[in-house]
Amino acid sequence: MKAEELFKELNVEYEMMKVKGNRDPRYRVKVNADKLEDIIVKFKENGFRHFVALSCVDWIKDGKFELIYHLFSYETLEDVFLSIYIPRDEPKYRSLRHLFPQIETYEREIHEMFGVDFEGNDRLIPLILEDWNDMPPMRKDFDTEKYAKEKYGSIPPVEGGDEE
Amino acid sequence: MKEFELFIGPQHVGVTGNMMYHIWVDGDTVVKAETNVGYLHRGFEKLMERRSWLMNIALIPRICVPEPDVNEAAYAMAVESLMGWDIPERAKYIRTIILELARISGHLLAIGGYAGAIGLYTLPNWAIGDRDYILDLFEQLTGGRVYHIFIFPGGVRWDLPDGFLRKLGKVLDYLEERMKLYDEVMFRNEIFFRRAIDIGVIPKDKAIEWGVTGPNLRACGYPYDVRKTDPYAAYPDVEFEIPYYPKFGEFEAYGHGCDCYSRMIVRRLEIEQSIRILRQVIEKIPDGPHILKLPNPIAWKVPAGYAYARVESSKGEFGYLVISDGGKMPYRVHVRGPSYTHGINVMEAIAPGLNIADFAPTAFSLDVCPPEIER
Repeated sequence: MKAEELFKELNVEYEMMKVKGNRDPRYRVKVNADKLEDIIVKFKENGFRHFVALSCVDWIKDGKFELIYHLFSYETLEDVFLSIYIPRDEPKYRSLRHLFPQIETYEREIHEMFGVDFEGNDRLIPLILEDWNDMPPMRKDFDTEKYAKEKYGSIPPVEGGDEE
Repeated sequence: MKEFELFIGPQHVGVTGNMMYHIWVDGDTVVKAETNVGYLHRGFEKLMERRSWLMNIALIPRICVPEPDVNEAAYAMAVESLMGWDIPERAKYIRTIILELARISGHLLAIGGYAGAIGLYTLPNWAIGDRDYILDLFEQLTGGRVYHIFIFPGGVRWDLPDGFLRKLGKVLDYLEERMKLYDEVMFRNEIFFRRAIDIGVIPKDKAIEWGVTGPNLRACGYPYDVRKTDPYAAYPDVEFEIPYYPKFGEFEAYGHGCDCYSRMIVRRLEIEQSIRILRQVIEKIPDGPHILKLPNPIAWKVPAGYAYARVESSKGEFGYLVISDGGKMPYRVHVRGPSYTHGINVMEAIAPGLNIADFAPTAFSLDVCPPEIER
């Protein structure tokens, strides 16, 4: 089933993303966080069986995190980006790993890098970072340079580097 | 029975790079596997938010070491989408040359790695040696052997040097001859049949839902390739076939598909198709400019918006989601690497039941590239 028909059925508004290079149309939709699961299930049943990625964006000025669920259909060759917004001061959403198993890993990473809590995912253990005790590093207010200076001090001079 | 824990990696000949599989074994049968990544984390996505649109091109090839060009191509296409640029025809063809050479080089490494894992030690040496001819071509064209920093938003950095296409044709002839020897040593070898058929099987009905892409998906019997499903560069203008199980041409389709055997045969046949594509590109490449006039790199602002570009890497679908807020630097870039699903979820799901000895070949047959998991 074509994405446009599904949008009409679900009564949601969409916008087209600009595409150069590739050919397939990409639809971007802002959806209500409560309805997301039903919408993904609907799309999955209608050919959108390839879950491409789950991305998180920190919109610090608006005080929100955007979660982008990206689906692709091999039947109609269309991309759909479903966006939800969650508050930045209490970033919480429910896990959708039962729909596509790889969502578990994406949720693990977003939990680690942005500090978003996914209820129902019991495997939110560290994926990439080790012994991390600072704020989640992909947040916009995390200052990489300041962290490096505090953690490691200034760059030590090479021992004996001034000899010869 | 008591279980033992084994650590395969990060320093182990049986893993494809700096990553680790933590496996639990009963006798020599794997009961459970967990992926442990993070040894190569350099925070590219964060770094990209603090570099200008042009500076990022020097950074991103490092996201996938064996095949860096797909990063440049996907990033460039995403930026072009935001800018609304149509690139010159010649640039599309030069990109196709680069991407197909990178695919051959990626497949040679995968085949060499796999052959090493099943004990055919001749092939890794050959593959590394033959890949060097491709690196020579890259060096002549771009100045760099491994990282090329060549595909820019708007086109490619330089035009083809004199005599490049002639040399490319010679290398293609050479590789085609060499493939016959590869077939004798590996692809028609009893050891390969015994070690690969029906080993490391991905359930066919789950393959798409699990996010399997690229040669691994085609080995499951789905003829899906980004070059056909979402074409880019000069691929719509050239003829080529998508090898998939059980359409293996001169090779027998042993087993039930979705296994190590099918995955490696698909890679072997794709090298042939890449050679075919490159020969057509040599014939058809048009004259003209190779790049658009770029804006001042220091003052270059990209209009606000979302763009997603995808290319077919030798490992699967490689995509860049680029978000701009209208500034001089990307607001957010998310890299979708194929190994993210292959290396973690898929490997963890198909590992139980494997022999310890079959674990490394299975990991190699999925062609996992750790740096693109960690970005």
